[in-house]
Amino acid sequence: MILTFASQQDYQEMAGQPASQPTWTQEEYAALGAFMHAFNQELADSGELVETRGLSAPAHTRRVQLKDGVPVVTDGPYAEAEEVLAGYWIVECGSFDRATEIASRLADCPGPEHVRARARADVRPIDEQQPDFEG
Amino acid sequence: MVAAEVEDLLRRLAPQVLGAVARQFGHFDLAEDATQEALLAAAVRWPRDGLPDNPKGWLIAVAARRLTDLLRADQARRRREDTLAQWAMAETGPPPAGERNQADRDDTLVLFFMCCHPSLPAASQIALTLRAVGGLNTAEIARALLASQDTVTRRITRAKQSIKDSGVPFALPPPGQLPGRLGAVLRVLYLIFNEGYEATSGAELLRLELAEEAIRLGRALHEALPDDNEVTGLLALMLLVHARHRARTAADGSLIPMAEQDRSLWDRAVIDEGIALITTALPRGPTGSYQLQAAIAAVHDEAESGDTTDWAQIAALYGVLLRLDDNPVVALNHAVAVAMATGPRAGLALLDRLESDPRINADRRFHGVRAHLLEQNGDRHAALEAYHEAARRATNLQQQRYLNRQIARLQDSS
Repeated sequence: MILTFASQQDYQEMAGQPASQPTWTQEEYAALGAFMHAFNQELADSGELVETRGLSAPAHTRRVQLKDGVPVVTDGPYAEAEEVLAGYWIVECGSFDRATEIASRLADCPGPEHVRARARADVRPIDEQQPDFEG
Repeated sequence: MVAAEVEDLLRRLAPQVLGAVARQFGHFDLAEDATQEALLAAAVRWPRDGLPDNPKGWLIAVAARRLTDLLRADQARRRREDTLAQWAMAETGPPPAGERNQADRDDTLVLFFMCCHPSLPAASQIALTLRAVGGLNTAEIARALLASQDTVTRRITRAKQSIKDSGVPFALPPPGQLPGRLGAVLRVLYLIFNEGYEATSGAELLRLELAEEAIRLGRALHEALPDDNEVTGLLALMLLVHARHRARTAADGSLIPMAEQDRSLWDRAVIDEGIALITTALPRGPTGSYQLQAAIAAVHDEAESGDTTDWAQIAALYGVLLRLDDNPVVALNHAVAVAMATGPRAGLALLDRLESDPRINADRRFHGVRAHLLEQNGDRHAALEAYHEAARRATNLQQQRYLNRQIARLQDSS
């Protein structure tokens, strides 16, 4: 599983909304879309892509936690600059190294320099030792 | 595209957009504000720049972006005040298999149920339904309800707060609660419709719009629940009553009773539509009170004149209605229909039974009907007394003038 991260601030900049940081230009945004489309298409063509999803802005998060033994929902638990999961790919491939190689290609993802400077992707194996309920 | 067409389109899309946004992101209260702002933006831009390729998608995208802003502001404020928004989720459980992908069609329905939540006072249910499902803005609602804009804003804000506090999820009520919750929705539509008919001369036009809005909402509900007999019955009832609106008022703004209306002014097309609806619903059973009221309205609408009206059928229908719903106003109408069908004496006998009912025996309508039947029965003295009683209890000037005219007429004839 390949995971990428972003803060509410990053989402605001991508949405082109005035913030302290400069926002993405139309060209930058279009380039991102084109890159992601090609990236996903290639993985689909090679048969390695199982699923990929992008998540909506962190402001829409609900956190469920036990409080005095009952589940309680908290709205918007993250601070504006806190980086949280922004999207993921599940790839089915030959090795963990191959998955890492795929993730490393995300380094070519276009975007404003200050965003590229702190962008990162984590790669984690999915635990396949779970019992298989489908038999 | 001209502004009026854009407005029609926006009003039609309003519940779909709010439904989509609230279903995806929750926060019904903020989603409602965000949707209103998106509608406003479209009302300004579309007549000027033309329609976007996908108007509904455009509105959803703009509303979702606005919702994110509102949420961020809300969350930032809470962090400053150190008051996290915490609440317990109400349980809904999974929907029955096969019904999971009907979200689009059901959105309008879910909105109806949320806006007409039984925990809200009727005035708030009405205002919120007009805004969230009807797509009217606060100023339009204030004008239609003859209330101040502040009052309407307060009602809507408080209603949304109480929906938020109750943790009602954006979903249809559980099946066991459906009939009762639907009853509340129908009652709100009927209240909106009747509000439109509490016409005062100066505001006549606007109030008519309110009745028409109730019909529009009734159509939307009927579209979402085409097989529900009472939904069909209410839509039919509203159409069958509304069809007579042009004949209802005299040039001076006073109300003309049905017996004296110029029936050529009744709207045939609307009557036909109402009759077609009630004709589909009735044989399906079970018969509910809106269907019966629609059937009664249909009998009136089909008659050439008051004299040729099938009063026996109307009396029978009121009899069935009375068994379903022990309502003194229904009982009063039943007595009138029986008197029309079989003579004043039978009507007066029914009124005698109502005389001890505190829900109606102080009402001017009871005394007015009684006076009329007593007069028909030749008891001039008792009729005069009853007219006086009715006039004393009437609160509306038009009604007082009508009753006092009857008194003068009876006194002159002596």
